[in-house]
Amino acid sequence: MSTGSNEMPRREGAFEREPARRVFAGEIRECRYQFKDGEDEKSPTFVLLPTGERCNRIFLVGTLTEKTRQGEQNIFYRGRVVDPTGTFFVMAGSYQPEAMQQLAKIETPAFVAVIGKPSLYQKPDGAVMVSVRVESITTVDKDTRDLWVLDTAGRTLDRIDTFRSDTTPDVAKTKEQYPAMDPAVFHRMAYDALAQIKM
Amino acid sequence: MDFSEAAERISRKFSKDGQTADPKRIEGKLRRLVQEFGVQPSEAERSVTNELAKEYNMPLPGSAGSVGKTGGGTAEKKIAEASPGEWVTFEGKVVALSTPASPALAQSGIIADESGAIRFVAWAKANAPAMTEGSWYRIESAVVDEYKGVANLKIHSGTSIKEIGEDRALIPAPIAIKDLHPGIGGVRAKVVQEWDASHERMLQSGLLGDETGTIKFVIWKEPGREKLAVGGVYNIFYAQVDEFNGRLSLNLNGATILQEEADIPVSGGEGVFTGAIVHIAPGSGIIKRCPVEGCNRALSRQNYCPVHEIQPKFVYDLRIKGWLDNGEKTHSILLQRDAVESLTGIGLAAAQEIAENNPLGMDEVFLQMRDKVLGRYITCKGREIDNRVLVNSCELKKFETADHTKLLNRAGGAV
Repeated sequence: MSTGSNEMPRREGAFEREPARRVFAGEIRECRYQFKDGEDEKSPTFVLLPTGERCNRIFLVGTLTEKTRQGEQNIFYRGRVVDPTGTFFVMAGSYQPEAMQQLAKIETPAFVAVIGKPSLYQKPDGAVMVSVRVESITTVDKDTRDLWVLDTAGRTLDRIDTFRSDTTPDVAKTKEQYPAMDPAVFHRMAYDALAQIKM
Repeated sequence: MDFSEAAERISRKFSKDGQTADPKRIEGKLRRLVQEFGVQPSEAERSVTNELAKEYNMPLPGSAGSVGKTGGGTAEKKIAEASPGEWVTFEGKVVALSTPASPALAQSGIIADESGAIRFVAWAKANAPAMTEGSWYRIESAVVDEYKGVANLKIHSGTSIKEIGEDRALIPAPIAIKDLHPGIGGVRAKVVQEWDASHERMLQSGLLGDETGTIKFVIWKEPGREKLAVGGVYNIFYAQVDEFNGRLSLNLNGATILQEEADIPVSGGEGVFTGAIVHIAPGSGIIKRCPVEGCNRALSRQNYCPVHEIQPKFVYDLRIKGWLDNGEKTHSILLQRDAVESLTGIGLAAAQEIAENNPLGMDEVFLQMRDKVLGRYITCKGREIDNRVLVNSCELKKFETADHTKLLNRAGGAV
């Protein structure tokens, strides 16, 4: 999986879009390692999830609680999207004009669905942050949010199962990069997120 | 003969494949064959190896490499067991002959036994006797190699061919379409679609289906070849299964085709896909189509058809192109008018009204539809072709308490 794109150049017909992984804010917050797959300038960048899978794109649904417009020449928007486990930091700049217009229009608070690319950056004080560069953001209803929590809990548990039973290259990399990480934390997180949805 | 050494050699072949073959036991068998039955040592080694292979129910280990040791004999096997790099001896029936693609070849075609079929070529300089279609032959010491990713039998000057007088019954079992793999294969399938020929040498192309799936087929123009009837059910033997860009297709030119007076259920290739819509592509929403009969192409904003040029009397239509993502895999989806109307709640008339009266025109329809479906979970039914799902019907996924309970139980288990 990790070397696939190196061995076989992508052809037009064989193009596979990177799937959008389902990750809780509480997990994405723990990411500390990102890497490029391949040497090419256009090679995709991946953030390694502590549950043992790379992601280049994520899909998240939560409550947009805050948005701020920043910049003078280069306007960009920042927003906070809250899920049952924490907060995603999302941003859309002039390189994502469509996403920026979408974000600019939404009144907080609102349930939003976000498709975007996570990346790590370091704050001046040295702390590592994960922010999500928005590809698109739309307002959705509560049902969609609840479906996303189920979906994300299921996918998180799937990753933990793989992490515990299998040694994929990504799992090996995760054990190397996050030696102190205990997947039980994310198992618990998935349970707590599910428990917050009213029966 | 050094029995223990030979026994070690055999044992190693199997242990390589994860089996434990006791060298003591092998040595005993060899001794018995050679000393008690006067078998040639090389022949003894071969037969013990075969016996063990049968016992472990596995293909002969390294049989290509063992040729030298066993004194030039090649393993007798069934066609389905032959893999590239091996020397083989078998009995089979020539089920098809085709025009050789090169003057270096004397003959080419397909030879079959009850286990399967394989393409063969006979080199012109092999001076092999010409084989006739429909006859059985014993072929000794031919070589299996790989040509374009498919196993292929080479008849060379060291190959001996003997005709077998009797005609044995040979009825190959059809293979389920989803189980086909590159090589030679037969199916019992229905012609579910016929496509426009994309090449002047092409007689017919389309889609064949059975209960398990669908596959593209092609017939090239050749004397004696006839088109298949759409909706007809056919038993197709010895078709060539090709692979291109990871997708299989059937070339029926060398195949034996028998129509059947029956109807079979076809899966329709229809799959169910659930996920979130993560992208709506440009060209979605309301579009204009070329009104020329049989064209129906999408027009540009200037009402320009790539074939029929400016068409002011266009026809409006709705569609959504996008990506459906389940977190593991992303499918391109294409929704036609009915599916778009039911998913967005915007009918064609309403969309046309917006397109003609809103200052943003057609863009406004795109934006309204995008805001209604992007980021939503939907379940689509449709046919998958080339990682693109042509959606026949779709609906928004609903929150099911049962799913919630199941996940809670799963997550509540051992933490």
